[in-house]
Amino acid sequence: MRNARITGLGHYVPPLTVTNDDLTSRIDTTDDWIQQRTGIRERHYSEGRVGAADMGALAAREALERAGRRADEVDCIIFATLSPDYEMPSSACVLQDRLGIGGVPAFDVRNQCTGFLYSLATANAFIKSGRFERVLVVGGEVHSTGIDITTRGRDVAVIFGDGAAAALVEPTDDAQRGILTTHLHAEGKYAEKLWLECAASRSRPRLTEEMVAAEMPRVFPRMEGRYVFKHAVERCTQVVQEALDATGYTADDITLLVPHQANMRINQMVALGFSWPEDKVVNNIQRYGNTTAASIPLALYEAVEADRVHDGDLICLAGFGAGFTWGAILMRW
Amino acid sequence: MPTALLGLAHYLPTDQQVGGVRRPIATDAVGPSDLALHAAPRALAQAGSQVSDLDLVMFSTMTPDVTFPGAACFFQHKLEGGTVAALDVRGQCAGFLMGLMIADSYLSAGIYRRILLAGGEVHSSGLDYSAAGLPIAELYGDGAAVAVLSMADGPGLESVVCHSDGRHHERFWIEYPSSRQHPLRITVENLRAGLQYPRIDREQVAAFAAEHLPAVVREAVDKAATTLDGIDAFILSHALPGVAARAAADLGLASSRVIDAGAAHGHLTAATLPVALSEALASGRLAAGARVCMATCGAGYAWGAAVLKL
Repeated sequence: MRNARITGLGHYVPPLTVTNDDLTSRIDTTDDWIQQRTGIRERHYSEGRVGAADMGALAAREALERAGRRADEVDCIIFATLSPDYEMPSSACVLQDRLGIGGVPAFDVRNQCTGFLYSLATANAFIKSGRFERVLVVGGEVHSTGIDITTRGRDVAVIFGDGAAAALVEPTDDAQRGILTTHLHAEGKYAEKLWLECAASRSRPRLTEEMVAAEMPRVFPRMEGRYVFKHAVERCTQVVQEALDATGYTADDITLLVPHQANMRINQMVALGFSWPEDKVVNNIQRYGNTTAASIPLALYEAVEADRVHDGDLICLAGFGAGFTWGAILMRW
Repeated sequence: MPTALLGLAHYLPTDQQVGGVRRPIATDAVGPSDLALHAAPRALAQAGSQVSDLDLVMFSTMTPDVTFPGAACFFQHKLEGGTVAALDVRGQCAGFLMGLMIADSYLSAGIYRRILLAGGEVHSSGLDYSAAGLPIAELYGDGAAVAVLSMADGPGLESVVCHSDGRHHERFWIEYPSSRQHPLRITVENLRAGLQYPRIDREQVAAFAAEHLPAVVREAVDKAATTLDGIDAFILSHALPGVAARAAADLGLASSRVIDAGAAHGHLTAATLPVALSEALASGRLAAGARVCMATCGAGYAWGAAVLKL
């Protein structure tokens, strides 16, 4: 059976850079506090009416160009986001509009921080089963319009940034190359430990002025940080080990870990658990914050650009986030 | 060996009066994962499966319990699914068919062996029941269906095709919350303007479906290497009344072979097709051995069709 491999990567971050110091004019916080807790120095915010699909389309165009493909050669679009352009339809459809292509199936995967992992695993299934030849997987987020950038919301607000990245996935007949294994998990028991409640179809009505404008609005994400941190380290470590066990590789065989960028301390703890030196782990949260579904492809893109990824390298993608959901994908570059 | 439908069940909440029609309407604090939970034990029992046999829980919905995480996470927990993978898909009206396409790919690639696919919606909490909003509110109902899928010898999925054309996404949409709106994606002003409710360009949406619904039925039937005559029943769905019947007429299908999936309960979006199939099986209208074609066309635009031998 053929394998799926990433043949092109692209990225887009909006030009507006917001440093920790910039945030201190709106939030009672300090650059030191944010860096100590998260590793973040700055993040990017979109402006005007630039949405997740607008940024995703720019990332997609770059990925297609690098793969030497045209947009009309794509035969399926998967868009991972938790900050869609509209409530309905999917951002995948809006992206399709921005790329000017119609006809091929386009859908959103709504799996939060592991959205890219769930989407790439799905693209892998499409390619391996022979259903599609060129699957465009995009992660894009505009968080800046959905967080509470005041002292009230600071625990969450300082973490998130806007951005997009894309990967084109195509088949290879080389069984040693491309995606070797995919591992996905969830534990909905903890759904409300990191969540955005409203709009909530289970509330009648699902959106009210009170939800939007109350003293404590329910339209912003909420997080029990310590709880999430502890589970993230544990689950990321477990699922990387699961991917190694499934393929017979050891931690030493891995060339590079490209983790989700939620908190640099999480990634450092995972690396420590495997006794990996720091240069084996890609971290770019310092410059982008947490871009959820875009973070892993954005980090992979930068690692490739920085010449940290070479043919034959064993690359592990891993992440943990809201749901809880977590996963790992092992690929031979 | 095809992907087989090992189990299928549905659940509809109690009917209530909505304008001039009766629609299944969920009660307070009930989300799509709760509706699906009512159907899941029957679907699993039919399949002879336990929750612990599942490798993946998928949920297609455009009305998740909360904004995030997705309905699949809540559903996975309510099923006592441990740490089984939970995938949330947004494909609007074609959500169930897209879910079927994804599940079929995971199964035929040998990545997963048993998948539970739910399609469920609670529309009623997001509709405008004022006189101005009623014409759209009347279109929708709440409901869910759950399918258990696995590769098996014998009958199963013979084709599934999905399409989208996002160039028309503003013809049938819910604009807000919109992450494109700065500085905040939802405001009191947006709510006062009613922009959190679905809006539909009826003429354009119906015209698009008039062309693409029959075409996608033909495509799925061709792909299944059969003919329209080789199909025992067609389950057709569209949010607007009359559109599915027009597609059936265009295909030259006798009304006895057609189930207009939205006619009884209104449009259930991702749940419409599997609820209609589940009802047809429960009532004896369809039985094992029958070959069914399901098709829908809706917001996005997203549309698709599948041929399934029961």
